Amino acid sequence: MAECKDIAEEASNLLDGDLPFRKRMALRLHLLYCSCCRAYVQQLKQTISTITVLRPQEKDTTDTSALAKKLQEISKNH
Amino acid sequence: MKKNATPSRKDERLLIKQLIAGESQAFDLVVAEYHNIMLSVARAIVGEAFADEVVQDAWISAIKALPKFEARSSLKTWLLHIVSNGAKSRVRRENRQISLDDGWESVSADKFDQTGHRYDDVFVWDEATPESLLANEQLQSVIEKAFQSLPAIQRAVLSMYEMEGIKMPEICNILDITSSNARVLLHRARTTLHHSIEKYQDN
Repeated sequence: MAECKDIAEEASNLLDGDLPFRKRMALRLHLLYCSCCRAYVQQLKQTISTITVLRPQEKDTTDTSALAKKLQEISKNH
Repeated sequence: MKKNATPSRKDERLLIKQLIAGESQAFDLVVAEYHNIMLSVARAIVGEAFADEVVQDAWISAIKALPKFEARSSLKTWLLHIVSNGAKSRVRRENRQISLDDGWESVSADKFDQTGHRYDDVFVWDEATPESLLANEQLQSVIEKAFQSLPAIQRAVLSMYEMEGIKMPEICNILDITSSNARVLLHRARTTLHHSIEKYQDN
């Protein structure tokens, strides 16, 4: 029997379709009768969609146009 | 959700030709497109202190090797492998280790009773779509901040998987981690960001 704790641990794998059949079914069954876990999985799904829209990036102070120029020079002289 | 589209093979061949021909626009484009994710991979493997240097070296090796690029993978994956190899040899030189952070829980253990059931209620969020969540600037900065506070290896897995659309086996190769580790890191990263939104919603 899957419990709320199992959902909390496996929610990503469940959403990514990366679980063996038995495990997946046990978690799906739990979701049928647990509205809290359904809401949690839904929230995690929304988090993922939000990240892909927001696209947070590494903090970076590189001067990218200077780097592009430097690489172009290297390519010319190579 | 649409992930970062990898340019078609044809576009990429053209881009590579332009790079070999030394066209400045092509250099601007590849650096703008790939520098950040290369930096992410380098930071995940070698750490903050050496990452910039490793990425710079990777770019130089890549540009020199470009005429020999056989397009068996996409340009992005090829670049990430060059960074990864450079970072790994730097790790060996510096005698450092990639560490996975321990003692982590997806949801705090005190939220469950002995049988593994939740004590608290979880409610559906009012603002349902990414667009409505992101319309709130304060929340945007909360998510950004939570992302920056993730361990570098979690940021790298998350960015490659969610934003760059790179498949799990490739991510494992690039970061030299097992598939189960990569899955755990991805779940941790997502959960931390989920907590940040949840906390904000609760306030």
